[in-house]
Amino acid sequence: MFSDGQVEVEGARFRYREAGQGSALVHLVSAGALGLTPAHGLLARAFRVVALEVPDGAPGASPSVARALTQLGLEVFNLMATTTTVPTALGLALQAPARVRALVLESPAVASAPSPDLAGLAIPTLILLGTLDDDPSCAVGRAYQVRIAGCHLAFVYAAGPAIAAERAEAFTEIVADFFERRDAFVISRATTLINP
Amino acid sequence: MKVSFFETVRYRPPRALPSEWPVASGAYDPEAGAQAYRDMLERLAYVEALGFDWVSVSEHHYSPRILTPSPIVSAAFLAAHLKRATIALLGPIVPHSNPVRVAEELAMLDTMAGGRLVVGLLRGTTNEALTYDLNPAEARERTDEGMELILRAWTEPQPFGWQGRHFQYRTISIWPRPRQQPHPPTFALGTSRESCEFAARHRLGCGVSYGPFEVMAKATRYYREQCAHHGWEPKPEQILYRANMLVAETDDAAHALLRAQPGGAPFTMRAGVREAMQTLDSRNIAGEARSPVVTGALPTTFIGSPDTVVEQVRRCRELVGAGVLDLSLHPPGSTTVEPLMRALDLFGSKVLPRIREI
Repeated sequence: MFSDGQVEVEGARFRYREAGQGSALVHLVSAGALGLTPAHGLLARAFRVVALEVPDGAPGASPSVARALTQLGLEVFNLMATTTTVPTALGLALQAPARVRALVLESPAVASAPSPDLAGLAIPTLILLGTLDDDPSCAVGRAYQVRIAGCHLAFVYAAGPAIAAERAEAFTEIVADFFERRDAFVISRATTLINP
Repeated sequence: MKVSFFETVRYRPPRALPSEWPVASGAYDPEAGAQAYRDMLERLAYVEALGFDWVSVSEHHYSPRILTPSPIVSAAFLAAHLKRATIALLGPIVPHSNPVRVAEELAMLDTMAGGRLVVGLLRGTTNEALTYDLNPAEARERTDEGMELILRAWTEPQPFGWQGRHFQYRTISIWPRPRQQPHPPTFALGTSRESCEFAARHRLGCGVSYGPFEVMAKATRYYREQCAHHGWEPKPEQILYRANMLVAETDDAAHALLRAQPGGAPFTMRAGVREAMQTLDSRNIAGEARSPVVTGALPTTFIGSPDTVVEQVRRCRELVGAGVLDLSLHPPGSTTVEPLMRALDLFGSKVLPRIREI
C-alpha cells in the first residue's frame, strides 16, 4: 500500500508516494503523473519505492530534487526516470554520482535530446524501449546508449512507451535484476535443470 | 513471374517404410540417404541450368518425406554447389528455434552466399510442435515474437537485450550482419491473419501454400489490405505461392499421374495425437478458422498439359497476386525420381519460358 506525502525545498513542494522496504528506488515521475502502475507495486516487494513528482524536462531542477531526497532520508538510491523526467535524472546523476547506485531510463522522450556531458557519467545505466514504440523514440534511446559509457539497452516486447503499465511483470523483472546486480545482470541465473 | 524449385531430397528406401509420423529412424538406410543427397546435387545443377530463379528448402523432422531437418545446413550446402540460383530458405520453424541463433546463421549464410539468400519464417506444420516438445498453444505467440527478434537482431546497431514473453536475452549483437541490407528478402509464411498482419507491419513478403487459388487469394487480399493500412504496397515478388504441379504432354496424362498418386496425408499422426492436436492447435485463413491437421493429400493446383498449366499460372497471378511460384513438380515422398525428371524436362522447355512475362 502506497502512502502519500510531500516535501518542501526552498518554497517548492514535491509530492511523492512511497511503499516497500529495502534498498531505495526513486522513480522520478512527471508533474501530475503520480498515478502508479502495477510495476510500482511489484517493485515495492523488493525495494523501498519512492515515486517523486518533478518538473518535466528540467535538468536544472536536479539540485532541488537532490535536496528533497535528502529530506526524505534517501542518501544513496537506485534511480529511475520515465520519458520526460529523463533529463532531470541525468542531471541528478551527473551532479551527485555517489548517491546514484544505478540508473534506469524508461522510454526517453523525443524532446529530451542527449546532452554532450554524458560522457562523464560512470553510473551503471539501463535504457528500456518498447518494441511498439515509434522509430524517433527508439532513436533517442539509442543515442543515449552511445553517449553513456557502458550503457545497456533492452527492448521490452509488445510494449509501447508506457512499458511499466503495459508489461508490468517484464518491466519489474529486468529493472529489479538490474538494480540488484547492475552490470552483472547480463549473467543468467535461470536454471535449466528439470529433474535433479 | 519468378520460379522456385522446392527441393525435398528424394530418399528412396530399399524397403517399405511405416507411414505413421514420427517414422522409426531405425528404418533409415545410410547408403540410400547418402545417395539421395548426391542425387539432389545432380538434380539441382540441372534445375539451375533450366533457368529456375530459386531453389527452396524447408524444415521437417522425423520423416523421410522431406529430408531437411536443418534447413540452414541444407541451404549452406546448396549455396556452396549452386553458382547462380537464389537459395530460398523457407524456412526455419521459428517457435522451436533460438531466434538469435537463427539470425546469426542466416546472416552468415547470406554473406557466404554473396547475398543470394531469401528467407521465409514460419510457425511450422502441426506435427512439428511435437519435434522439440513445443506447447502448440504457445506456438503462434512464440512465432511472432521470434520473428520480431530475428528482424531486430539483423538491424539493431548497438548491443541490446530482449525482454520478451517467451524469449529473454540480456545481450545480443550479431556478427556478421547480413550481406543484403538491412536484411535478406524475407517472407512471413502462412495464411493466418496473424502472419499476414506481421508481414504487413514489418514490410515483409507473404507466402501461402498449396490451397486452391480462391482460398489463397483470401489470405493475400487480406495481406495487401494490411499493407495499405501500414502505408505501403507489396510488389508481386513479395507474394509467394508454394504449390504442387503435375505437368504432362496432355491434360489426360497429367490427371492420370494424379490418380496414380497415393492419397495419404503428408505427416500422418496416430489418431489419439491427431485428435488432441485438433483441440490444442488453431489455424485460420485470413481470420477464417481451418483445421490445423491435414488429413488428406495436399491439393495439386497446377495440373495439365503445358498450355493448360500456363493458363493456370496466369489465373493464379490474377487471383492470388503471386509473383513467385515455389513448385513441387512431383510429390515429395515419392519413391521414384523418373517422373520428376520428366516433369522438369517438360516444364523447363514448354512452361518456364512462357510464364516469365506473366
